[in-house]
Amino acid sequence: MHTASTRIDEYSLAIDTSAGTSVAVLSMGTVLAEVNYLEPMTHSERIGAAIQKVLADAGVRPSQISLVVAGVGPGPFTGLRVGLAAAQFFALGAKADLVAVCSLDAIALDYFQAQPGSKTLLVSTDARRKEVFWASYQGVTSGIPVRVLGPSVNKPEDLGELINLAEHEVTEIVVRAGALGQIAFAQSLTELGPNRDLAPIYLREPDAVPTKPKKVSG
Amino acid sequence: MSIHIREATVQDLAAIMLIERECFINDAWPEAMMKDELVAAHTYYLVALEGDEVVGYAGLSKLPGSDQADIQTIATAPTKRGLGIGKQLMFALTAEANARGAKEIFLEVRADNSVAQKLYKVFGFRQIGVRKKYYQPDGVDAFVMKTESLVPPKTEPVVLGIETSCDETGIGIVRGNTLLANIISSSMEQHAIFGGVVPEVAARAHLEALTPVLDEALEKAGISLDEIDAIAVTNGPGLAGALMVGVGAAKALAVATGKPIYAVNHLVGHVGADILDQGKIELPTIALLVSGGHTSLLLVRDLLDDVLLLGETIDDAAGEAFDKVARVLGLRYPGGPEIDRVAKEGNPQAIRFPRGLTLPKDMAEHRYNFSFSGLKTAVARHVELAEFKNEEVPVADVAASFREAVVDVLITKAIAACKDHDVPRLLLGGGVVANSRLRELATEKCKEAGISLRIPALSLCTDNGAMIAALGAQLVMAGRAPSSLDFSAESTLPVTRVQS
Repeated sequence: MHTASTRIDEYSLAIDTSAGTSVAVLSMGTVLAEVNYLEPMTHSERIGAAIQKVLADAGVRPSQISLVVAGVGPGPFTGLRVGLAAAQFFALGAKADLVAVCSLDAIALDYFQAQPGSKTLLVSTDARRKEVFWASYQGVTSGIPVRVLGPSVNKPEDLGELINLAEHEVTEIVVRAGALGQIAFAQSLTELGPNRDLAPIYLREPDAVPTKPKKVSG
Repeated sequence: MSIHIREATVQDLAAIMLIERECFINDAWPEAMMKDELVAAHTYYLVALEGDEVVGYAGLSKLPGSDQADIQTIATAPTKRGLGIGKQLMFALTAEANARGAKEIFLEVRADNSVAQKLYKVFGFRQIGVRKKYYQPDGVDAFVMKTESLVPPKTEPVVLGIETSCDETGIGIVRGNTLLANIISSSMEQHAIFGGVVPEVAARAHLEALTPVLDEALEKAGISLDEIDAIAVTNGPGLAGALMVGVGAAKALAVATGKPIYAVNHLVGHVGADILDQGKIELPTIALLVSGGHTSLLLVRDLLDDVLLLGETIDDAAGEAFDKVARVLGLRYPGGPEIDRVAKEGNPQAIRFPRGLTLPKDMAEHRYNFSFSGLKTAVARHVELAEFKNEEVPVADVAASFREAVVDVLITKAIAACKDHDVPRLLLGGGVVANSRLRELATEKCKEAGISLRIPALSLCTDNGAMIAALGAQLVMAGRAPSSLDFSAESTLPVTRVQS
């Protein structure tokens, strides 16, 4: 869901917890400060102090933030939700706008910026249970990575049937909130505007089996 | 074993000196000096107790007319470290400094004691100077530290409470002891097809419900976020993934609004709910908390400092047993209301189902503990046997007899706790309080035993944010320092840790 936006936001706060905990403050698409904690299990401990630190590092007061950019995954669910919950309530507290960016897009942007000659990229991250979250990209247009397939979740050995692996470059880059914020800024300049669908990209149903009335003993 | 804190008296001197000499080997205070400290008018000393044993102490000095206070000393017995005793003592001391009108608190700490320095930093202490070779005969420097981050006590703080420990997204707003809003969004319907709460389903629902529930709570209370004085959030016990949604949201809201945050205990919140129902809470009280996730019996002497877990379920929670038995009987989820409905037509004496952990041999070890797993199996066997014999299952009688067994054990043990501890009060909390037979039997047995019974309104008994806000407001009014921003969601948070 995209809606037109004419406002160019002065300061934005970007939050991503699809892998570790990454938070950035940007001004007009330029990263002023960023913190990255790579541990995959400490999101709920880190998130508050990380936001506080990145604001202090950037010299920006919470009330000056007019846009919050949330990384909506895909990523391990428990951690992913911490960042999305934080993004929702920071936006309410700071009376800021709230937009979403696919976390894998941020990885693609960083990759293409570092390797300007590259054309086709496969981004894949650990989805646990011997599967990967992945998406494929073809370059960057107007500051936005062009996603051609995904995001999806598959076993790594099945990817070869879905895309031509030989044509794709791969990367070890991890998601960075600064890149997420840059994409949101670039999207706000386009006709489509930023993405306001804040629903997390889960790609899997909850792991539970419906029950029938049954005997429980024996 | 749980820890509680009370003001020290001169009778504690010997026990304090034992720890003093163990902790400060070369520079322990002489006994006479410690005694002077304990009895002086301008000091405030606390002891932390495990049962009757002193396991820590701490002292504050605040001269009348001065707006500065000093932490004189703080120590935890070497075998009792890492349990958060020092932190609990610091919460109480800084609150007292605050209540006595201090604007700044000073302390000295050994330069080589990084554990203590880390604790002080949590309370906003910063190093402001060094006293060279202050500690003799060791010749160790002292760091002088100071904090100014005291919250001025407010008489009627507006507190927003966030609760996401299980399947209810609750946001409540209170002003002091007065309820302003209590909005709950439940994902119960979504769990029905699974026959029980699925943690991932609950966590997903929390994320979706947060913003609409907050908006509705603010609207109901007729206030804006700017008017909130503090934010309280459940950080345990509960489902880890569910708790983390509330914790993440609450921390970000605190940073965005610049408001202090209080991480509070869900179970103690259930006890605090009664404050909203009658404007106060009468203590001491025994509290029986019964829900789909908990079955706990508490002795509450002080809501903020002295909550003791007497017992809890060793297997299923009572609400869980209702759900499982409902499934066996072919009834819908959640099982509690369904069994309650069907049981009205049945004979509670028809089948004598077992009362878990009530035999003399069990009572020695499990006087206040509960077990519902065996009862659930007994019901299943009974039903299977009837089916095997091609007899019609007497659903109403089974439901009534099962319900009677659960309620009987709950109330009998709660009344015993009241009598054993000479506490003539019983408070009920948790969703199972909706059960009509539980309320009926509690009323009857309490009357017989001369115990006054408190049952808050059902909307305050089920999981809700208002009770969390109420407990947060108690902490603010007591002048407690806020929690630091790095607290965790703890699925097995002990009931003795009221604030993290």
